[in-house]
Amino acid sequence: MNSESLKYKSKSFTTGVLINLLLLLIAAACVFPLVWMFGSSLKTQGSVFSDMSLIPRVLHWENYYRAWTEGNFGTYFLNSVIYTVCVVGGIVLISSLAAYAFSRLQFPGKNFFFYMFLAAMMIPLPGSFVPLYVLMERLHLRNTPQGYILCLINVGLSLSIFLLKTFFDRMPKDLEDAARIDGCSKLGIWWNVALPLARPALAVIVIFNSLNVWNEYILALILFDDARFMPLQVGLATFHGEFVTQYHLLMAGVTIAVIPILLIYIFMQKHIVKGLTAGAVVG
Amino acid sequence: MSKARLFSLLIVSLIMGVIGCTRAPKAKTDVVIWHWMTDRKKAFNELAKKYEDQTGLRVEFKLFAPSDIYSQKVRAATQAGTLPDIFGILGEKRDFAIFIKAGHVLNLKAAMRAKDSQWKNKFFSKALIVNEFKRGNEFDVPSGIYGVPIDVSNIQMLYNKDLFKKAGLDPEKPPQTFEEFLAAAAKLKTAGIQGLVSGWAEVWMIDCLASNFAFNIMGEKKVMNTFRGEVPYTDPDWIRVFSLFKEMADNGVLAGGIISMNNKDAEQNFANQRYAFTFNGSWCVNVYQGMNPNLNYGVMFVPRVSERHPMLIWGGAGSSFMVNANSENKDKAVAFLKWLTDTEQQAYLAQATNNLPANKLSVANISPILSQFAESMENTTHPNIWSAHEKSPVVEAYTVGIQQIILGTRTPEQVAREVQEVKIREMAKD
Repeated sequence: MNSESLKYKSKSFTTGVLINLLLLLIAAACVFPLVWMFGSSLKTQGSVFSDMSLIPRVLHWENYYRAWTEGNFGTYFLNSVIYTVCVVGGIVLISSLAAYAFSRLQFPGKNFFFYMFLAAMMIPLPGSFVPLYVLMERLHLRNTPQGYILCLINVGLSLSIFLLKTFFDRMPKDLEDAARIDGCSKLGIWWNVALPLARPALAVIVIFNSLNVWNEYILALILFDDARFMPLQVGLATFHGEFVTQYHLLMAGVTIAVIPILLIYIFMQKHIVKGLTAGAVVG
Repeated sequence: MSKARLFSLLIVSLIMGVIGCTRAPKAKTDVVIWHWMTDRKKAFNELAKKYEDQTGLRVEFKLFAPSDIYSQKVRAATQAGTLPDIFGILGEKRDFAIFIKAGHVLNLKAAMRAKDSQWKNKFFSKALIVNEFKRGNEFDVPSGIYGVPIDVSNIQMLYNKDLFKKAGLDPEKPPQTFEEFLAAAAKLKTAGIQGLVSGWAEVWMIDCLASNFAFNIMGEKKVMNTFRGEVPYTDPDWIRVFSLFKEMADNGVLAGGIISMNNKDAEQNFANQRYAFTFNGSWCVNVYQGMNPNLNYGVMFVPRVSERHPMLIWGGAGSSFMVNANSENKDKAVAFLKWLTDTEQQAYLAQATNNLPANKLSVANISPILSQFAESMENTTHPNIWSAHEKSPVVEAYTVGIQQIILGTRTPEQVAREVQEVKIREMAKD
């Protein structure tokens, strides 16, 4: 082995080690909050502030039981699951239909309506609390799960329509022509051609909106008076007092709340990566 | 899973969500209360149950936390006319005044004064002032009492008794004057114990301590005259106020990084016995109980600088409830609030939540540390009840100025000049 080749190998080895070290560091920085959260969920309120070890010597698993019961997670957890499924389902259904229409159909005011949807993305949700509250009250939808679900579908539509329209715009027209020759209607093309091709984009929409709905609690607090309709995040707020936060129970609650989102990530990981990288090739 | 099945599942979920859930049936409650006090949830529910057992009337406490979202909900409910029978208004007195002028808050003056002011006399006088609007008030609100204090709070100094012992100081005799305070801090420093920790990244705390000193050095009238623009900040008394912070910094009394520390971190540091003194509100009893139940500490009044004027500390009503003037159940609501603020219920609330009771008669039944806080309730004041108010840019200039004094980048005289310049600019805008 000559010195040039040795030098090259040693250089590439050093670069590899450095890159891997950097990646390990980034990974550790990402994982650390989760480990800290889990470790704190097994401590007492006092030891959260005094015991700096990541995993305490005495494990207080009862924190999970207390978080579940004191935070009324039994009700809230089920509510959050229902809201997430309904809202994400609604968004996928409506946004894919709307995006397909914006992309493929010609109708008066098409651009105007599309830009209106985009403009809706600029309005922060807190800015619309009071009008939304009054509107829901007048429609007799305030303090009802239906009203909350409709509001959240509305919140998620703009970005989802924008993402899917961009996707459909790049879809080759030949595929639709072929489907039309096979006797497909417009709805049939949307169902049989456009939707299957948009699977990676849909995965991104599902994960993005699932996260939003799962973590939402502000609108729920504004719209609901009845505690039995509240989502999971409101249960977490129970441990966050005006002056005192029960960190051990809060962390146990957060750990419980994180599990479904982690499962969605793991379940859809393949599609998400595709969705983020497949933009260039459609069809 | 096939595409068709997935789609069916999606449609079923949507139908389940939209049609399956029905509107909540109206709960059969006599009085509905909206609140934001997470730490009082359990105690409130217990009291509601007790009230139902005693009277047969059902009271429901509904918690909406955090407080900023709660405030938005109350505002939205005001617009839609869906306010509950009892609610709380968070914010400054001018926000309170807006609600009253819009006709949403019941005037409780008559109820408070009935039977020789039996109800009114149960409260610490300072607790009611925040909820009271006198004739000719600056907000043009008809005179009256518009809120019922549930608890009170005040902000004082606290000291660690164990660290005092370690430094050879008498733990039952905390410093009373500023000189004694500096001497105690010096002794603690010699024993390797750090002095004062507080969350002075939150500038309102600096404003609070500075105004305590100002009231003591120059008296309330002169402070108010300064706010009205009749006394300049370059007055020697104000320079003396600013100098106190320099003295504390120069003598190494203050925690390193105090001006970038938020109160939560300061509380943690004091609870973990890293510092001998702290400046904090009475709510801290609850905080320290959670952080370190064995913390051995006492309350000390803010060390006085002068004998000329009384030292006044910030305090007053902690949380208050208002009755919806448009509620059909307002009489029941008033009756419940009378019961809630009665001695027995107030003592229970104080014991269960570690908050200072608004009812002065219940002080005998509370913990010693809360008792110490309560002793100073009659020496409290609060910006909400002052006859004049300083403009925000001026307050910002002097709190930031004090931070710079602590950092050593400005002298008290420089800060005084700079604050006065801001004051002149702000007055020119009027």
